[in-house]
Amino acid sequence: MENEFFKNRLNITRRHFFGQAAAGIGGLALGSLLVPELFKGDASAQSLPLGVAHFAPKAKRVIYLCQNGAPSQYESFDYKPMLNKMAGQDLPDSIRGTQRLTGMTASQDKFPLVGSYYNFKQHGKSGTYISEIFPHIGSIADDICVIRTMSTDAINHDPALTFLQTGAQVGNRPSMGAWMSYGLGSENKNLPAFCVLLSRGRGNGQGVYSKLWTNGFLDSTHQGVVFSSSEDPILYLNDSDGIDKAGRRRMLDQLAELNHEGFAENKDPEVEAKVQQYEMAYRMQTAVPELTDLSKEPDHIIKMYGPECLVPGTYAANVLLARKLSESGVRFVQIYHQGWDSHGNLPQEMAMQAQDVDRSSAALITDLKQRGLLDETLVIWGGEFGRTNYCQGKYTVDNYGRDHHPRAYSIFMAGGGVKAGTVYGETDELGYNVVKDPVHIHDFHATVQHLMGINHEQLTYKHLGRRYRLTDIAGNVLPGLIA
Amino acid sequence: MIIAEAGQQWLIFWGHFHPMLVHLPIGMFFMAGILHFFAKQTSESQGLIVRILMWTTAFSIVSAAMGWGLAQSGEYDPDALQIHQWLGISTCVLSVGLTYVMRAGMNHRLTNSLFVLSLLCLTITGHYGGNLTHGSDYLLSSLPSSGRKVLGIKQAEEANKAVPQIANLPEAIVYTQLVKPLLTQKCTSCHNEQKQKGKLRLDTPEFILLGGEDGPVVSAGKPLESELIKRLLLDASDEHHMPPKGKTPLTENEIALLHWWVQHGADFKKKVSELPSDERIKPVLAAYTQGVVSQESPVYKQEVDEADEADLARIRKHGLMANPISKDQNFIEVNAINAPRVTNKELADLSKIQGQIVRLKLGNTGVSGDFIKEIAAMPLLIQLDLNHTKLTDQDLVGLKNLAYLESINLVGTPISDRGLASLAHIKSLKRVYLWQTRVTEKGVAVLKKMRPDLTIQSGFKGRWPLEVDSAKLTPTK
Repeated sequence: MENEFFKNRLNITRRHFFGQAAAGIGGLALGSLLVPELFKGDASAQSLPLGVAHFAPKAKRVIYLCQNGAPSQYESFDYKPMLNKMAGQDLPDSIRGTQRLTGMTASQDKFPLVGSYYNFKQHGKSGTYISEIFPHIGSIADDICVIRTMSTDAINHDPALTFLQTGAQVGNRPSMGAWMSYGLGSENKNLPAFCVLLSRGRGNGQGVYSKLWTNGFLDSTHQGVVFSSSEDPILYLNDSDGIDKAGRRRMLDQLAELNHEGFAENKDPEVEAKVQQYEMAYRMQTAVPELTDLSKEPDHIIKMYGPECLVPGTYAANVLLARKLSESGVRFVQIYHQGWDSHGNLPQEMAMQAQDVDRSSAALITDLKQRGLLDETLVIWGGEFGRTNYCQGKYTVDNYGRDHHPRAYSIFMAGGGVKAGTVYGETDELGYNVVKDPVHIHDFHATVQHLMGINHEQLTYKHLGRRYRLTDIAGNVLPGLIA
Repeated sequence: MIIAEAGQQWLIFWGHFHPMLVHLPIGMFFMAGILHFFAKQTSESQGLIVRILMWTTAFSIVSAAMGWGLAQSGEYDPDALQIHQWLGISTCVLSVGLTYVMRAGMNHRLTNSLFVLSLLCLTITGHYGGNLTHGSDYLLSSLPSSGRKVLGIKQAEEANKAVPQIANLPEAIVYTQLVKPLLTQKCTSCHNEQKQKGKLRLDTPEFILLGGEDGPVVSAGKPLESELIKRLLLDASDEHHMPPKGKTPLTENEIALLHWWVQHGADFKKKVSELPSDERIKPVLAAYTQGVVSQESPVYKQEVDEADEADLARIRKHGLMANPISKDQNFIEVNAINAPRVTNKELADLSKIQGQIVRLKLGNTGVSGDFIKEIAAMPLLIQLDLNHTKLTDQDLVGLKNLAYLESINLVGTPISDRGLASLAHIKSLKRVYLWQTRVTEKGVAVLKKMRPDLTIQSGFKGRWPLEVDSAKLTPTK
């Protein structure tokens, strides 16, 4: 008898034991707090529903339109006529300071400034300057808050994107969406809290990797679920030929029984996570086909997003799908759109990229607004860093490139408690440095979590002996961004 | 005279040993008690207990004498001091008596009750002593709120939190809401009514202006000439550094806050927005709003009871989500996103929590007209989503008495222009969503005229795509 007891104990590692002991008490409290249904013994509601925020949230859901590859702020939201005036002149050392450069331009002996190829226009009551290649976003200028002073620590795509998504440059921390899933859960019990949609534009592209939507050290139920553009939006979701719904159910029940037995023996929480994921997949079997069927969207909606939204896998289609997911209660929809890495041939590439995203991005915000959903949905549009104010490679009047620039770049946000119709922060006349109201990635994370009703210092997870959070040990909520 | 003063100084010097020595007889007294009540009684143990008690008595008397010396410093509130002093003397007397009775081997009942009485007296003395040193709220000040609830103690005051959260920061009084809580947290345990180190009190504006034994501590507009700030900036090892060693020092942000306040006049009435802000103070002030979302609705200033768990459970059985809007509020949001089939029958259970509901999201459900009177009985309702339901113009009439309703979503309902009049009567209303209804542009215009303050969303009317200068899209290479 005693032997058996020890044998069982031996299956639990020391760290796991302590983790579990802590989770047993703290986790129970957290669980019951965030998911009141959790301990009510109702199996169908067990895995999910709504969490309760630290304080009353402004935003309930996030749609993150990540412009992967880093769109140039100079051709989009940071109007710098001085660059056009000084075009061709060298970037003064006093401005550049100690900024390190990437290997792509570090060996250049000249850093000729280059102004925007496109004109800018003031839009809306706010008079926000937006480049002419984004006319639709310009038309909703009063609904958005442009941040011109984003800054990041990384200078290359992979670490910068990882930093933007997870708060750290190394890829082992949970993504923003995973943190939201962990803290707030999903509203819709038939859909995961964190969904990921991928698309690719016509410009120079940079990869996306699953570490960007990882659950990190969190339970794997918080991992982003990737939708594909193929016939099966979620791979392996449908029953195989010859298996009917009842058979599937029986199989899952048996499998769960085995898994519970396994869990009783090895106490590995991932076994339980697996069971939950199987159940989620089962419920998604009916929910997902309804959602991904865009054919039922009325004509006037298609006209808003543009005809491309009917072509699966395009940015426009993903944006429309993102609206449907969000409308159905998905906590965090993450879109990645590749193709913004314009090291050369920028005027052409940027225009094509803008053409792909401008109309549907604006349509999303407008559509949410008319549905009464924008009040509680936070939309974020932007990349992982900005681009240099000087030319990479040979500079001519209508062809140039821009290298990576981490010190200051532009994004915009809309809805969900953000101050609409405003511009936040200011860069110097050459757009190189922040002169007013910097927004570091950590501050951005803190503010987004704040809008969701989360105190960024309190949503933590203990791992490898210390507590982690999205903002780790930094970040300030920026009241200037909040309505 | 000089001799008297020197004597006084020596008294105070020895007095400072009181807090150190006093713990020795306390421990010994309890040890004697433990042996007396819990150890096997033999003649040997009796002798031991008596010997311990003798030493206890000796140390008690020495400690009490030192305590009297410390009292001469005048740094303590005389009233609280009196209690502690007389209790201390009583403890000494009881100790003498107990030693005598024990030694004489008198009857058990007498020794037992004297022992209990002495220990009780000792405990109370110690508690009052602790209050003198650390402040009267020290002992339970960090009890978590759950523990407070159980013990029925009122919630910790703002002063005990790291950074108090302020909802409307620009309107906050700098002294009352920022400076005072900080002083209470870090300074007034030694500079208060009961205890005035350096003859300084920092608990009211009058005493702050009055200063201490070396004169004023605040020089308005000159932070670096103000003792209050200078002492904070000294090296931590400096003997004049405040707070003294062993007490929690002020953080950089806290020092910056006091500096900012003194620099701009050390005013006791001005609001945050009335003091010029600079780069140094911005992040400091920002910390006060980290946990606060400005909740404009006056509803959130009210207090409601917690909803009954059993009622919530019954509501959740129907697939409805019914949860508090946040961890520290009892207001409830009801969301039917997972329960598109609910009808009035199931929704009837919501009447049990009608006093708590602030957001009611019944979009895409089978809710119908009869339920409107139930909604009208939710006095604190702020947001009402009835999109894609069958509700009609007639039904909206019943909503006009909702005093706090700010947002109503009627997208996809058969509402027409006729129903808009009832909306215009809801004074608190700010946002109306009317897309995909039978409401006409004329109807919207009429509503707009009646209620120019309303934001009315009746759907996207623009003509897209917007033109982009096509020449620019294909630049020459």
